[in-house]
Order: sequence, then structure tokens, then C-alpha cells
Amino acid sequence: MTIQEINTRELKTETEVQKSAFTVKMTGFAEMPMMAELDGFLKRLHQSAIDAQIPEVVIDIRPLEFMNSSCFKAFVSWINTLQEAPEASQYRVRFVSDEKKHWQNRSLGALACFAVDLIKVETSSMGS
Amino acid sequence: MTVPEDAYCELSFSPNISLISTVRRFVGDFYEKVLGDAEVTSRLVVATHELLENAVRYSVDGQSSIRIGVGRVEDHVHVVIDTRNKTKPENRDALMKLLDEMNASGNRCTFYQALMKRSATRTEGSGLGLGRIHAESEMDLTCELIDGVVRLRAEARFPSTKESVS
Repeated sequence: MTIQEINTRELKTETEVQKSAFTVKMTGFAEMPMMAELDGFLKRLHQSAIDAQIPEVVIDIRPLEFMNSSCFKAFVSWINTLQEAPEASQYRVRFVSDEKKHWQNRSLGALACFAVDLIKVETSSMGS
Repeated sequence: MTVPEDAYCELSFSPNISLISTVRRFVGDFYEKVLGDAEVTSRLVVATHELLENAVRYSVDGQSSIRIGVGRVEDHVHVVIDTRNKTKPENRDALMKLLDEMNASGNRCTFYQALMKRSATRTEGSGLGLGRIHAESEMDLTCELIDGVVRLRAEARFPSTKESVS
């Protein structure tokens, strides 16, 4: 299974598909012009995870330099869709953030509060 | 509240989405130099970016300005970010309504969570930018109309960690 990636100058995704999890690494800048791309990608990711009955999706945003509210909203919509999916098809989402990028920790903290049962946030440095 | 400023930065620009990230990087360097605190700088960079996007999105005449002032008050720094632009009456009214609701809410996080829920199914705009400034950057937002120009102001006090601001 492959998921169509985002591959623009501003934002890139690399997705590793395994039976235990989909792991997505996001690199670059998630700003206003990238909103539609990101929204489309998260919809494809969600559908693929549901189809493959994946237990966990990992989003590593450590290399992401900035995310604006429009792109953050794409994550909110994705998580909201996941919350509304039948419980049997729900998967867990684990975000990995860079401890030195303070905005990541604050934004992901808010997102984790939005779906306490579904989201975990792990903080680590870029090198680990 | 009026606080004496030790440093300020003011820019006028013609709204252009690609300029926002350039201005964000510039003011990020300004905050870092003046405040010397990566955590506070990060909060202010997010707030500045969201205010700039707001100005670009809703300006009706292609003009916006931003002014950032930093002043030391005892062991705190007081930061004010001010944007000005002309906008349509309906956008101005929506802004006033959101700020009234935000400022009447007792808890920044609870209000942000409600905004997130509301935004999840929105198709136009995120509706989250100002909520992000209020909750994630922990800044207070006010708005006033002066001669048809909307002046949106975000301000906060942060513990000072550096001698600079000079």
C-alpha cells in the first residue's frame, strides 16, 4: 500500500507503511498555501489507515519548522473525523515533536486535549 | 495599558501571502535579539504570524501595517503587537463578536477547545488564528475601529530572562 505524498518546495511528507503503524515524517513549512495539500493528505492517510485496520498512525513533525492555524485546522478536522468514526475502526495517533520547537509542544498539547483518548504526544530531540 | 517601550519595530506592507513568512522570520530575529528567550520568542512568532495572516486575508485595500513594541516593567517584559488594516463591515463585526466571546470566557484552554470543535467542520477559514494567539501564546486581544481602520492588538507580559530589551 502506498499513500500519495505531499512533495512541494514548502512541505514534504514521507510515509512508512507497516502492519503495526503508518509513520509519517513531515518536513518544511505548513502555511496557508499548503492547507489544501495537507488536508487532502490527511484524508488519504485516514482512509488508508481505516482500510488497512492499522492500530496506530505516527506523525513525526520534528523537522517541521512552522505550522499556521489553517494547517493546524487540517489536523483538527482529521482528528474530529477519527473521533466520529465507529470505535472498532478507530486507530491511535502518536505525534512526535521536537522539544526545542516550543510551538510544536503548545499546538500538539492543545490537540491532545481535543482527543485525550486517541492522541499521545512524545517529545524528543531531532537527533533521537 | 500604556507601557514605556524600550524597543519597537514597525512595518507597512502590501498584503501578499508570500511576504508573511519573510516578515515572520524578520520579527523572529527581532524578538530573539531583544528578549533572548526562545520560548517567549516562539509564542510571539506564532502570534505575529496569525495577526499578519488575518490582516492579509481581510484587508480590502491591499495595505496593512504591523507594529511591535517591547518594554521592561520591573521583572517582566511587556509586548504589544498591533496590526491595522481596512476591512469589510461584516468581517469587522465577526471579529468584534469573536473577541467579545473570547474575552468573556473564563478559561483560555476551554475556549480554544470549543473553537477547535467549531472549526473542525468549517469550510471557510480556520477560525482558529486568534484562538491560537489567545490560548497558545497566552496573549490578550482587543480591537478598535479608528477612521474605518481596524486596529487589532495582542499583548502580554512575560517574565524577563535577559538584561537586554535595550
